Amino acid sequence: MNTLDMALQRLQEIAANPRKILDGYLAQGKKVVGCFPIYVPEELVHAAGMIPMGLWGGQVTPTIAAKYNPISTCSVMRSCLEFGITGKYRGISCAIMPMLCDTFRGMSAGWRAGVKDIQLAAFIHPQNRNDTYAQYFLTAEYRALAARVEKLTGEKVEDDKLSASIEVYNLHSKTMMNFTQVANDHLDVVNPIIRHAVMKSAVFMPKEEHTIAVQEIIGELNKLPKHDWKGKKVILSGITAEPNEFLRIFVENNIAVVGDDIAQESRQYRTLIPDGANPWERLSGQWMNRWGCSTVHEKQFSRGKMLVDMAKDSGASCVVICLMRFCDVEEYDSALIIKDVKEAGLYSLCLEIDQSTQNNEQSRTKLQSFAELE
Amino acid sequence: MLTMGIDIGSAACKSLILKDGKHILSKEVFPLGTGTSGPNKVFEQALANACLEHKDLDHIMVTGYGRFTFDAADSQRSEITCHAAGMHFTMPKVRTLIDIGGQDIKILRLNERGKVESFVMNDKCAAGTGRFLEVMARVMNVRIEDLGALSMQSTEEVSISNTCTVFAESEVISKLSTGVKLPDLVAGILASVAKRVASLAFRNGVEAEVGMSGGVALNEGIINALSKELKTQILVPELCQYLGALGAAIYAGKEAL
Repeated sequence: MNTLDMALQRLQEIAANPRKILDGYLAQGKKVVGCFPIYVPEELVHAAGMIPMGLWGGQVTPTIAAKYNPISTCSVMRSCLEFGITGKYRGISCAIMPMLCDTFRGMSAGWRAGVKDIQLAAFIHPQNRNDTYAQYFLTAEYRALAARVEKLTGEKVEDDKLSASIEVYNLHSKTMMNFTQVANDHLDVVNPIIRHAVMKSAVFMPKEEHTIAVQEIIGELNKLPKHDWKGKKVILSGITAEPNEFLRIFVENNIAVVGDDIAQESRQYRTLIPDGANPWERLSGQWMNRWGCSTVHEKQFSRGKMLVDMAKDSGASCVVICLMRFCDVEEYDSALIIKDVKEAGLYSLCLEIDQSTQNNEQSRTKLQSFAELE
Repeated sequence: MLTMGIDIGSAACKSLILKDGKHILSKEVFPLGTGTSGPNKVFEQALANACLEHKDLDHIMVTGYGRFTFDAADSQRSEITCHAAGMHFTMPKVRTLIDIGGQDIKILRLNERGKVESFVMNDKCAAGTGRFLEVMARVMNVRIEDLGALSMQSTEEVSISNTCTVFAESEVISKLSTGVKLPDLVAGILASVAKRVASLAFRNGVEAEVGMSGGVALNEGIINALSKELKTQILVPELCQYLGALGAAIYAGKEAL
């Protein structure tokens, strides 16, 4: 096995085994803070010397979670609650939850009622970002969040360390966006499953460590000759695009992913933390700059055009909306995305993502039919 | 050249043998879907109907939900591609194809060559599918094939407000308990299916002529309700149930060359 294969395999294993990774951190005496999707200021956790780990649930049919979350709740939240209640996240010092949609409101109550051993630190992003005070509010909210995390974990967030952590995160974001570009020249190697693993492993690893791993992969890919991909190319959009059984359908139908707007993947990395003297204001400034996301209010809907531009830039003929079942905000956006994509003369597919089922047959039919289009 | 197309659906299996890509020698349908003896039965019966043996076939292509499960197949294609080819063979002027299967609904836009330009499918929901009709027929204790004729006797359609199969089932039981006339209730159920299908069709755009495939197309009540919703007469080829198998047999011919 060569260096590239080993590096990719390592990230695939990490992406597939978050509990094993968590146990490893705990065995080393490290404190771990769970971070719900999305836009949690992980830099605070990193600055306090702890490990931020993404909480993205997993493939499970929830049973106990139904006590608090009805079946018509976003399946990521349901599986997270199920894992919280059943001890799958045991060992985490606390969990940070952003109130980015209505589901989080109920979820926060369900978590507080059902998960006894992991305390919650919740916070709110201001949606009216045109208001001058929005950033003041978020800066204060981040300070309050840090105080809450400090209380729950006993670890302090110092300003100088926060500034250093911001640099770590910005470098990681740049590296990830670089990877997505380089990967497009090597679609024979970086298939949709591998691409996803490189992206997903980031939510479970310290960012400086993940940056090194991805830089190594980029370096090895750059040594290879560019590959001329003959199959179809698509852009993925949505909250998550997994599990591997779902992505395998792309591989089997010779469909390459050449860009994504997946919340678990690139969506987190495309907006850097701005420069500035005050690290708290820099962090809140990142939120003010975010766009093209179903959880971010915008006066003008920009996500459709963003996806069209991504498709045109990367030679994709289709935008695949990986629609998280019962995710209201994504569903609202999807109608507008489909309209914009269609008007641009591109193809769109809407595939349902549901962590509570293993059945991907309708997605298979849609993807195969797309692949068979002449 | 002899080719066979087999459409292994979730509720029924269909097979068809084509000679030289043009002449239908045999066809068979069996009301059992994937994971049953249905695929083998339609395979063997279609051969028997045409006095042929397996070795006489140049290529077998399978389509439908169970397309990955039939060992004797030489290749497989998606039912969307195959239904389009089948419809173009029978009604080349059709530009919008509606297929209501056992567990999904597909709306296809076809070009003048019969190739798929775009398509939409329902998600993981039985609303508006053949399964929905099965459930409702069971609740009302009538045969699914009688739904169309019953609906034609309706004098005052009973509205079914729920889209979800489970909720609609409860609503139908509730309506039955209030003593509504069966034909009126059936007409309401078929209208609810038509509304669900029409909403999906409008998402993909509707261009005349509009044709329908699949076993549900045999239901005159659905055709009427859907024609009303789409404000255009839905065309139903005689081979509506076999279009997937026909398309597979056509593609089998191309692959055998």
